[in-house]
Amino acid sequence: MALTPHSRLPRLLHPAAWWVWGVGLAVAASRTTNPFLLLLVVAVAAWVVLERREAGTTNALAAFLVVGLVAIGLRVVMVSLLGGGVTGRVVLVRLPEVPLPDWTSGVRIGGPVTLEGLLFAVYQGMQLAAILACLGAVNALASPRRLLRYVPATLYEIGTAVVVALTFAPQLVEDAQRVRMARRLRGHSPRNPAEVGRIAIPVLVGALERSLDLAASMESRGYGRAVHRTARSIRLAGLLTLVGVGGVVVGLYGLLDGTSPLVLGLPTLLLGVTCAAAALLVGARRDPRTHYRRDHWALPEWLVAASGTVPALVMILAGARHWDGVVPRQVPAELPAVPLLLVAAIAVAATAAVLAPVPPLLARSRATARTPSEPSRELVRR
Amino acid sequence: MIEFDGVSFSYDDRGRSSDGHLVLSGADFVLDEGELTLVVGPTGSGKSTLLRCINGLVPHFSGGTLHGRVVVDGRDTRTHRPRDLADVVGVVLQDPVSSFVTDTVEEELAYGMEALGVDAVAMRRRVEETLDLLGLADVRSRPLRSLSGGQQQRVAIGAVLASGPRILVLDEPTSALDPVAAEDVLASLHRLVHDLGLTVVVAEHRLERVIHHADRILLIDEGRVSPLLDPAEAMVTSPIHPPVIALGRHLGWSPLPLSVRDARRRARDLRATLPDRAPAPPPSAPTGEVVCAVDRLVVRRGGEPVLRGVDLDIHDGDVVAVMGRNGAGKSTLLATLVGQLVPMSGSVRLGPPADSIDPARARPAEIVVRAGMVPQDPATILYADSVAEECRAADRDFHLPTGTARAVLDRIAPGIDDVQHPRELSEGQRLSLALSLILASEPRLVLLDEPTRGLDYQAKRRLVELLRELAAAGHGIVLATHDVELAAEVATRVVVLAEGEVVADGPAAGVLAGSPAFAPQVAKILHPLHLLTVEEVVACTGAAS
Amino acid sequence: MHGGGVVTGVGGSWRTPLLMALVVLVGVAAFGWPFLASPGSELGQMGHTNDASFLFVGLMTLMALVLLAEMSSGGVDAKTVAVLGVLAAAGGALRVLSAGTAGLEPMFFLLVVAGRALGARLGFMLGALALLASAFLTAGIGPWTPFQMIAAGWVCMGAGMLPRASGRAERWLLAAYGLFCGLAYGVVMNLWFWPFMGDSAPAGAGYLPDAGAATNLGHYAVFYVTTSLAWDLPRGLLTAVLTLLASGSLLRALRRSLRRARFDAVGEFADAR
Repeated sequence: MALTPHSRLPRLLHPAAWWVWGVGLAVAASRTTNPFLLLLVVAVAAWVVLERREAGTTNALAAFLVVGLVAIGLRVVMVSLLGGGVTGRVVLVRLPEVPLPDWTSGVRIGGPVTLEGLLFAVYQGMQLAAILACLGAVNALASPRRLLRYVPATLYEIGTAVVVALTFAPQLVEDAQRVRMARRLRGHSPRNPAEVGRIAIPVLVGALERSLDLAASMESRGYGRAVHRTARSIRLAGLLTLVGVGGVVVGLYGLLDGTSPLVLGLPTLLLGVTCAAAALLVGARRDPRTHYRRDHWALPEWLVAASGTVPALVMILAGARHWDGVVPRQVPAELPAVPLLLVAAIAVAATAAVLAPVPPLLARSRATARTPSEPSRELVRR
Repeated sequence: MIEFDGVSFSYDDRGRSSDGHLVLSGADFVLDEGELTLVVGPTGSGKSTLLRCINGLVPHFSGGTLHGRVVVDGRDTRTHRPRDLADVVGVVLQDPVSSFVTDTVEEELAYGMEALGVDAVAMRRRVEETLDLLGLADVRSRPLRSLSGGQQQRVAIGAVLASGPRILVLDEPTSALDPVAAEDVLASLHRLVHDLGLTVVVAEHRLERVIHHADRILLIDEGRVSPLLDPAEAMVTSPIHPPVIALGRHLGWSPLPLSVRDARRRARDLRATLPDRAPAPPPSAPTGEVVCAVDRLVVRRGGEPVLRGVDLDIHDGDVVAVMGRNGAGKSTLLATLVGQLVPMSGSVRLGPPADSIDPARARPAEIVVRAGMVPQDPATILYADSVAEECRAADRDFHLPTGTARAVLDRIAPGIDDVQHPRELSEGQRLSLALSLILASEPRLVLLDEPTRGLDYQAKRRLVELLRELAAAGHGIVLATHDVELAAEVATRVVVLAEGEVVADGPAAGVLAGSPAFAPQVAKILHPLHLLTVEEVVACTGAAS
Repeated sequence: MHGGGVVTGVGGSWRTPLLMALVVLVGVAAFGWPFLASPGSELGQMGHTNDASFLFVGLMTLMALVLLAEMSSGGVDAKTVAVLGVLAAAGGALRVLSAGTAGLEPMFFLLVVAGRALGARLGFMLGALALLASAFLTAGIGPWTPFQMIAAGWVCMGAGMLPRASGRAERWLLAAYGLFCGLAYGVVMNLWFWPFMGDSAPAGAGYLPDAGAATNLGHYAVFYVTTSLAWDLPRGLLTAVLTLLASGSLLRALRRSLRRARFDAVGEFADAR
């Protein structure tokens, strides 16, 4: 096999690789309303989650899929009741129309429900559902909190605050339940709405008191010791930020205003974005802090990231060139064509299910499933 | 290793001490390398302040003015902030859970080293070493919240230890732990001092657990710090002392034995001369009326059965200590008695048989007149801005004439200022306040969940007196506690739970004296005699002589 | 003690307000481009495809990061990080707890009150972090996250910038603000995906890239009233009611805790005796 065995050992794939993969697939989905291609995207996302989700983590995909289905349903209902932008020829039902005054021009309630309108609503809903499925897949494959370990040093404090928040939140939920129970001890019924405030106070005050302990502990353990920014680098970063965001504002103005010269638009915007992004990295390079057991970026990471990027690029190209089957014709409704090239492009993303190493706990549970009588073979973690 | 040179400290801003009251004074000592120093003093005496001076949290973090000089391993805290001392001093604060920054064991151990910039290879090695040193290798990737109290405390110690400090400072490392978990932690500490030669400074009010580990003692009272003392010497005068010392002092032993083993050797003759007070015959018929009847109670929590068929009757005037290891179902039993949890099967009847209710179905207002509970953390039932407001709220809640709760409070703990904020009270005062609010409605049954957690000896003595008064006044009392000394002093009856079942139920003397896990120090020293407390010994020796 | 400026330790300079002003402009464009883009403009063209939506998701992510980085550029001390973390956790936990009702009411209540106690700058950080934390907690990171972060940051910041008041006046002020935010947050948050609906939006309520601002505003108003008002109005009302009932004591408790934290603590040393 071309892959080195070491990087193939059970371990967690670098979370950034999964995010590149998922966002790539989502971009691909956002370029098409072809229901078959969209279904394929959902299927690919679901399969990869089945194959490479770490055992014992929440499967965010399910929740995202439910939201996606609701989105489709809502659109269908909305188009049926309120009409849509597509005026079709094939009328399925004619709902009684509510007469509205003149000033509500364009708005209508009830009226004919057309096949084309319905189909279009379904396609659009499916597109949203497919994008949601991709995001759900990424949330399930790589817990977003693992990404927190990779924030640049300029965002170190913010990253720490988020880590603290994530550590404290479950505790607070428990505290709130405890206080709610305790309130009964003083003869209060928990159903009173004013109780929310009464519960919030001891919970929050208690938490803030503990936060001082936390601060003392962080301070004693060296938090803030590594001064990674000199006054000069702060000034430079500040300047870059201002120039960058200024550039973004000007660039946006250029994009919004049809009469301004072209150079004010996209080029200025890109320049601004570059400056602002550079500001985030200034000083980050001199960070003396070190990191414990960071995930490696090895060949599998490259391959997974690439397998998500391919469908995105192909679909963008296909959209720009108006290839057949990317955006099915709305009126008259017809069975959308399924171009093989696009199918193949999306299928590339499915290879991630093979290219990514198996997560350690999943690998272990599979090993025990395979050899139920023997004790599980010790598998190298990560 | 640690030098305090004429150190005193005060908060100089408004509020705490405009009169220039010193939070700490006269700290003047040198702690040598490889010694375990114990800081002994009542709650609020300045123990934590003294400990926090060592790495400069006082005054850099706390504010205030420090006189004198603290030098740690050659670094003066004037010029070094706590973070600059992180590689020299490791400070473990009272509550391990609130000191955690991350959420898994390994990451928590690595956090300090990341901030210090230890390179990745060395960091990995030190994490592994620390895991082994503190016996945490099995739980390395577990979320911190899922660990037991003893494991959490050991992670907190490991988290500061991994950075390689030579000095370890611990603020009450075992006071929130049950005896088994405390033993875990102390064994680890012992190892650090004896195998690695770390310098350790510990503040702890459960002296019976740590006194025999100490090399040196600092007594501290209202901020005044004693010179360094030898443990046995210090205990001769210390107002705070464990039962073993109290016994030794009463019998005039010198030098004072610090451990049960030494005391037992000294007590050989005593055991022969003391009359054995045979365990009181099982009370043929309980005296009072039944105030709570529990019948084949099964309670589940999170799908797991926590109580498996508990039977229990509680009478007026009973003081029942419910004991057992963590997770044995003590708190669950108490919570079910006041209707916070709904039983799967079996029944709970609150109140005298003629007028009993099922707490799971009753309205909170009906429950509070029959049973009142003080939860483990009394602060959870306090939410007003002042003591007076808290008392008024209790009067309103229970529809009592204004002033009732305040009157109860004055009886229990006189002299608590009306305008004080409940959260600024000492642990003992806070417990008294919570208890008076609960007692205001005159419940027949009073339940206390771990009431001595965080209490020093004085506050504990006050609580013991109070509980006796309550029992004499005809209240039924149930205590869920790990504190064997408390159980020995007040309980008339002890119920031991294990895995949700009652494994022992009987008079305190019988159950406690015979159990290796739950025997109080005096009982261990005088085994096989059935004496539990110094008071009882005093009574016996008085009678014998 | 009034809310603003309780906490020091976050580098303050003229840069941050200026940057915030610029980001507000970016935000106006990001949320409001369907009304601002003139028909022939590039964005108008991009509105035909989904490019504009993607562009702004990227831009808002960058803006959120840049703002937070700038606000913490002077170094944030341990106390501030811990307090921000804990309050964000409380916000996030409330969001998780109320997820069943899909509501943000209790979280908004907390953000408004805490923003009031913390002041504008930390308020913004708190709002953004609370939303981010809740997204992490629910594994619900998506393109909406940066929009929500910035919008919630503004909600929280606004509470810190409200005029001085105390007692009952402050309570009513916060309640009114809570009501306003409940509605405004909904109006603004629906905007980011409205153009994305394309032709599947109801007739007379969809985004038309080639039409003028007035038409699109009208269409959006219809869209908002028909699809979202029924959710947002109760949300705003509930926030307001909660604020009226409970903000007084919570605010007192928060301010007391923050005072006790001694953010401005500077240890002093004096010579012995």
